[in-house]
Amino acid sequence: MIPQLVTARWRRRDGRCRRLFLPVIPIVLLLSPLLVLAVIGGVIACLMYDLPPFRTLAGVGRLFWALPGARIEVEQGRTDLLLSIR
Amino acid sequence: MNEQRRQILQMLAEGKITADEAERLLTAVETEEPETAPAVRGKRPKFLRLIVDANDEHSGETKVNIRVPLKLLRAGMRLAVFVPPQALERANEELVKQGVPIDLTEIKPNQLEDLVDALDDLTLDVDQTDTKVRIFCE
Repeated sequence: MIPQLVTARWRRRDGRCRRLFLPVIPIVLLLSPLLVLAVIGGVIACLMYDLPPFRTLAGVGRLFWALPGARIEVEQGRTDLLLSIR
Repeated sequence: MNEQRRQILQMLAEGKITADEAERLLTAVETEEPETAPAVRGKRPKFLRLIVDANDEHSGETKVNIRVPLKLLRAGMRLAVFVPPQALERANEELVKQGVPIDLTEIKPNQLEDLVDALDDLTLDVDQTDTKVRIFCE
């Protein structure tokens, strides 16, 4: 399953927490023209470094697909950071 | 009632086996079931968890809670195969400089996958007066 929602939370200087919810699919659709360029750039980079482009892209795709469930939470002093991928 | 029991009782009803034989077969089936049950019930861990709870004089209380899907580790390991040999040689040189003589070119992809599979049973607990670190799979 591809990531659907990225949640970011951090504490501002005034002590209040800010939360940011990023719906992945709409953002990917919105940035799809740039993604096409990024894929083309990736293929060119693979060819430059003698890497198999399709296998490398498949590997990156697998990495993207495996992201749901990842969660990073750090709290130290006044710093509070949360990054959750669902 | 499972399929094996039903077959045994059917054979008994048809007179193909005696009551004693049916009893022995049913006992044999019952002894097999508990061995297979935990394998079916036992879930493989999906996440690697790192929990740090520290209390330092300078930085105060620190809490770190990281959950990494094991699938992500496996995908990363597969991607590591594509690291060019030149980059690995450079990394080897830097590791030797730091006093870690590990040859990264000798590590094969299947060894890395075995390593991630073996993480299932990993539990690491560090318990100090002001620091607690716990690494485990869930």
